[in-house]
Amino acid sequence: MNEKISALMDGELEAREHERCCARLSADAEALDTWRTYHLICDALRDTSVLSAGFADRVWAKLADEPDVLAPRARRDARRPLRRALSIAASIAAVALVGWMAFVPPRGAEVAQAPAKAVPEAVAQVARVPLPSAAGDYLLAHQAYSPRGNLQGVAPYVRTVSEPLGGK
Amino acid sequence: MKSRVFLVAIAAALCSFGSQAQHTHDATGWLKKIYHATSNLSYTGTFVYQDGQRSEASRVTHLVDASGDYEKLEALDGAQREVVRFKDEVKCYLPDSQTVKIDKRTGVRSFPALLPAQISSLAESYRITKGGSARIANLDCQVILLTPKDAMRYGYQLWADKATGMLLRARVFNDKGETVEQFTFTELHVGPRPGRDRLRSALEARSKDWRIEQAAVEPADLAATGWTMKAEIPGFHKVAEVMRMLRESRRVGQTVFSDGLAAVSVFIEPLAGRTEPLQAGLSSIGAVNIYSLEVANHAVTVVGEAPAASVRRIAYTVEYRPPQ
Repeated sequence: MNEKISALMDGELEAREHERCCARLSADAEALDTWRTYHLICDALRDTSVLSAGFADRVWAKLADEPDVLAPRARRDARRPLRRALSIAASIAAVALVGWMAFVPPRGAEVAQAPAKAVPEAVAQVARVPLPSAAGDYLLAHQAYSPRGNLQGVAPYVRTVSEPLGGK
Repeated sequence: MKSRVFLVAIAAALCSFGSQAQHTHDATGWLKKIYHATSNLSYTGTFVYQDGQRSEASRVTHLVDASGDYEKLEALDGAQREVVRFKDEVKCYLPDSQTVKIDKRTGVRSFPALLPAQISSLAESYRITKGGSARIANLDCQVILLTPKDAMRYGYQLWADKATGMLLRARVFNDKGETVEQFTFTELHVGPRPGRDRLRSALEARSKDWRIEQAAVEPADLAATGWTMKAEIPGFHKVAEVMRMLRESRRVGQTVFSDGLAAVSVFIEPLAGRTEPLQAGLSSIGAVNIYSLEVANHAVTVVGEAPAASVRRIAYTVEYRPPQ
C-alpha cells in the first residue's frame, strides 16, 4: 500500500488504481497517515515551510462545498524522480520522523495525523454503475443470512426476484 | 464552568436512566414478540414493497405444522414469480428465464443472530425505543424504533400488531430520515392454518424442464486460501463463510458480516469464470447497496442492507496474499 501511496503522490497510478487508492485513503486512517507523512517528508526534503495547523481540514471543508470531484490526472512531472528516492527514504525517514514529531509542538503533529473523518464524502464520491447482471443471484445468496428474515420471514426475497433484476 | 455542566449532565442521565432502561426493555420485548409471531404463526396476507422508484405487491403464506414451517411469496404485479421456502431451503421460480434457483442456508457460525436472547445485543448499535400507536391493515399497532448510533447503518421503524405481534410495516431509513425501502401489509389473516397445497408453487408442474441452478453451498475458510477482509464497521461480526455456485458454473466465496439486524456479504470469484466484464462501482436496489471492484484478478462484490459508504468501506478491506 505504501508503494501505491507514493505512486499516487507522483501521479503515476492508472485510473482504476487511482480510484482504489483514493478510496482506501478515505476509509483507512493508517493509509491516510502514511499519505500525510509522505507529504511531510517531501516538504522537508524540499524545504517547504510548514503549513498552519488545520490547513488540510480547511481545504477539505472547502472541497466539500465544491460540486465536482477533484481527481488529479496522472501526469509525469518534475517530482517524479523523487519517488524512487522517497520509497527508500520513506522507511528510514518515517522512523526518524516519528522520533522527531514527538518533540515538535503539536501544531506539526496535527498536520500529519488529522483524523480520517476529516476526509469529506467529496473525495469518496463513487461511480454509479448498472446492477450487475448476477445481482439477483447475489441477493438470493445474501438473503439467507440476513437477520431481517427473522422479523419479516420470506418477504425481503421480494427484492431477489424483483422486476428490475428481470427475474434473471 | 465546563465541569459543572458535565456534573449536571451526569445527574440528569442518572435520573433518567431507570425509566430509559425500562423503555428499552419494553421495546426489545416487542422485537422478541415480532420474532415469535413471524416464526410460529400461520398466516396469509398481502404486502406492498416500496423502494423509492417503484412499488410491488406480493402475497405471502406461512404454515407451521408438525413437519416444519413452509413459506411462499408470490409476486402479484408484473411477471409471475414465486419464492417457496421449506426449513432452510429456498426455491425461486422464474418463468421469464425458465429457471428454478435453489439456495440453502449453511455454514452459519452464529445464526440466527436475532435469537431472543441476542436481541439485547442490538442495543450496541441501535437505540431501541417504543413509539406511539398506529393502525395498519385495520389492525392496532405498536411502533418500535431502532435508531442507529452512527451513520454506518440504516435505521428501522417497525409497526407490530398489538394482538399477535406480527410485523405489519417495516420502514428502513437513512441518516437524513429518508425512507430507503418499506414493506406494508394491506391485509393479513393470522390462523387458521392454510392447507399444505397452498404452500406449493403454482409453477412447480410447469417448471419440470426448466434449468435448475443449485447453489451447492458448503462451509469454507477463505483466509486459508489467502483472502482476508475486515468488518471495519463497529458492531459487525462475521456470521458465516461459505463456497457456493453462482449461476451454473461460477464458484464463489461468500463471507457474511452482521450487526444483528443488517447484514453485508462479500462475494469473491475469479474473473476468468465470468462471461461479462467487471464494472467497478456502486449500484443499489432498495436498501441493498452493491459495490464491485477487482482484487488480484478476482471480482469482489459486496452486497448489503447498509449505506453505500459502509458497503464500500468493507469492499476496500479485501486483500489477497498467496498462502504460504
